[in-house]
Amino acid sequence: MMIVKSFRYLIFHFRMRESLLEMDRLGVGSIPIVFLANLFAGLDMALQFSVVMAPYGASNLLGRVVATSIIRDMGPVLASLVMSARVTAGITSELGMMATTQQIEALLVMGVDPVDRLIAPKILAGMVMLPALSVIGDLLGVLAGLMVAKLGAHVPAPLYWSGVRSALTLPNLVNGMLKPFVFGFILVAVGCFYGLRTTGGAQGVGRATTKAVVSAAIWILIANFMISKFLIDVWGWKL
Amino acid sequence: MIRLEKVTVAYGDQIVLDRIDLEVPMGKTMVILGESGSGKTTILKCVLGTLHPVSGRVLANDLDVGKLTEEELLRFRQRMGMVFQEGALFDSLTVGENVAFWLWEHTTLSDDKVEERVRTLLQFVGLESSIDQMPSDLSGGMRRRVAIARAMAAEDPAFMLYDEPTTGLDPFTSKSICDLMRRVQREFRSTNIVVTHDLTDAYRVGDLFTFIKDAKVIATGTRQEIEHSSDPFIQTFISLDS
Repeated sequence: MMIVKSFRYLIFHFRMRESLLEMDRLGVGSIPIVFLANLFAGLDMALQFSVVMAPYGASNLLGRVVATSIIRDMGPVLASLVMSARVTAGITSELGMMATTQQIEALLVMGVDPVDRLIAPKILAGMVMLPALSVIGDLLGVLAGLMVAKLGAHVPAPLYWSGVRSALTLPNLVNGMLKPFVFGFILVAVGCFYGLRTTGGAQGVGRATTKAVVSAAIWILIANFMISKFLIDVWGWKL
Repeated sequence: MIRLEKVTVAYGDQIVLDRIDLEVPMGKTMVILGESGSGKTTILKCVLGTLHPVSGRVLANDLDVGKLTEEELLRFRQRMGMVFQEGALFDSLTVGENVAFWLWEHTTLSDDKVEERVRTLLQFVGLESSIDQMPSDLSGGMRRRVAIARAMAAEDPAFMLYDEPTTGLDPFTSKSICDLMRRVQREFRSTNIVVTHDLTDAYRVGDLFTFIKDAKVIATGTRQEIEHSSDPFIQTFISLDS
């Protein structure tokens, strides 16, 4: 119900100012942690793959393997999981405090639907900013992989880049954009769901926040599998 | 006018209000008195339409609140002012922004006009100098004053509802809040409901008084009628307060 209303408000009563503020808060504020997570994920993945692939003489495929893994799975999932700790927790505690101090009720009493004022802009921000962050994170992860490929596995940079270019297929890119779009929605929707239902003062806010972060992480992993399965099986794409 | 007709509210098996009848004439202040947890605040929630009775109906100026759609309820509430127990100010906004909130949401006034109105309202409650402060920097009494200013922001609030507006305040601040409530009523000629368990404050602001006990209305009337009630609960309530 809350979700349907959110989309209705986004279409018929779009709040530009609030949406931009949320994008700044949710997205721009998360850049450092998404960068860090993707940097080390890229470094580690390139390192592990180079160890596994070297005995088979497949180091020349390192760029393709690293890029494919990051674009299709690791980038979006990692960015979402890291952001769930920051964004979902932030949203739940913010709305939870508002609920327990009657601020949500005050909104209603002033003739303002909390879904319109608080939820819809956050949902839009999540669905716009997570794909954007994922793209930037993917790029950083691939660059980090290049560092390991060049210095550790002695793969020439042009060879690595040609592998990366071959990974930029339409199915991979659709996969890499669709997932963060859905995950962005999950992160925010779960945070809002638990936040608005918070009762029991500060302790209740803490409980709701923990539940929200755990639920968001689980839903992201479930959604990740379902989207992968959907794109591979239903569309018949051999990714 | 606000009228409750045979209103019953229940949370699960627990009946909170049991076939309550209540009438607040236009422009009058009805004070609802009773012990904590007796269902006083529930009456306000029914009037606001945030809680729907199991049976009975709530009328506000002959409008059946229970029959309004969600959108109609939001519009209906725009002509209502509500002061919550702790103020319920938006803690991420300054005092001025809290008061301006209604104007931002429901009018197309320019920023200058909004600021002018906000300053007028804050002046009315004696807090113009706090316009840039955050709610967390205010005392309990100041927060209630800001909450009253915010509730008055609606151009012409037809109804003002107060939920324990003086709870937790010292006697001087309580009196100043009550004086302010009286001034608000004179200014807007609004129909008011005040929920409290403080008889002194009730006498300061009320025209009519209703006692609630065990989910039922046990007496309604003027101060004289209440004071001459033979109900032992009311007599005990009055004697304990004095």
